[in-house]
Amino acid sequence: MKNISLQKMVVLAMFSTVALTIFVIESMLPPLAPIQGVKLGLANVITLILLLCFNERDAFLVLLVRIILGSICAGQMMSFMYSLCGGLLCFLTMSLINRLLRKQYIFITSVFGAIAHNIGQLGVAIIMTGSLSILLYLPVMMISAVLTGLFTGFCAWFTAPGLKKYLKKNHI
Amino acid sequence: MKHPKSDTDGISGGSTKKTAALLLFLIALIVLSSVGGLWYLYLGPGASSEPGQAVIAEIYQNGKIIHTIHLDTVTESYTIRIDGDNEAYNVIEVHPGEIGICEASCPDGLCVNMGFIHSEILPITCLPNKVVIRIRKGDNPDHIDSVVY
Repeated sequence: MKNISLQKMVVLAMFSTVALTIFVIESMLPPLAPIQGVKLGLANVITLILLLCFNERDAFLVLLVRIILGSICAGQMMSFMYSLCGGLLCFLTMSLINRLLRKQYIFITSVFGAIAHNIGQLGVAIIMTGSLSILLYLPVMMISAVLTGLFTGFCAWFTAPGLKKYLKKNHI
Repeated sequence: MKHPKSDTDGISGGSTKKTAALLLFLIALIVLSSVGGLWYLYLGPGASSEPGQAVIAEIYQNGKIIHTIHLDTVTESYTIRIDGDNEAYNVIEVHPGEIGICEASCPDGLCVNMGFIHSEILPITCLPNKVVIRIRKGDNPDHIDSVVY
């Protein structure tokens, strides 16, 4: 942590707050579909923006803080495992795709992140319940991942350039 | 609509575009196979129930089958209560031909929201309480498929 400047630390803390707020508010909204795991994943917009404006390490730190605090604030202990596995798999995939695409076409990155997230959650669900029949959810989860991933991806795609300019102007 | 451009645009635009096209193709493939999978589940063989087929609901808790119900032989509705760890419970309602969770201790209540199922397309899951209900079409032991002389 010693090579993060104070200014950057404050900015990252603010991003964590924003991500946490989005996460908590989203968990209060009624579910999109009566199926486990189908949700927008709006907090992922912050991870995407950080991947574009900062680097992977910063994005990872904010994600980790958001998942830990989010599970304390909004979820139960069970949802922590789902969030963690989904979030980590999502992050790994997104940073890989983001490197391949050289920080362009962020909505493609987002779609793959959402797909990886849902696969991770499905994996945990199969282990937790010990029943393979949950695998039948896979097609539904994949379609919902592509749709929600596109949505969050476009959110980041339209937000990031302005934010980047602002951060540059203020030397962060 | 303004299109945001990245710093690296232009330097390696060609190869990035190719990668993007490839990834888009992959996404399309995933969507198509999912739609195909759903189509198979809904309309493919096994989705339509033949009159002779038994509709069997299996209730799993912690990965083990704890109840097996022949839904096609149910004539009167009744409920089953399943108790789990830490005072978790699910009340399962069995109707003729369909099954669902009507009351549960889980905080999100998604298992109740899924309503009643009568086909094997989507199982009902209550992840907090580790309860899964799935339907399986089986051969009715009394039913003869065909007779060959």
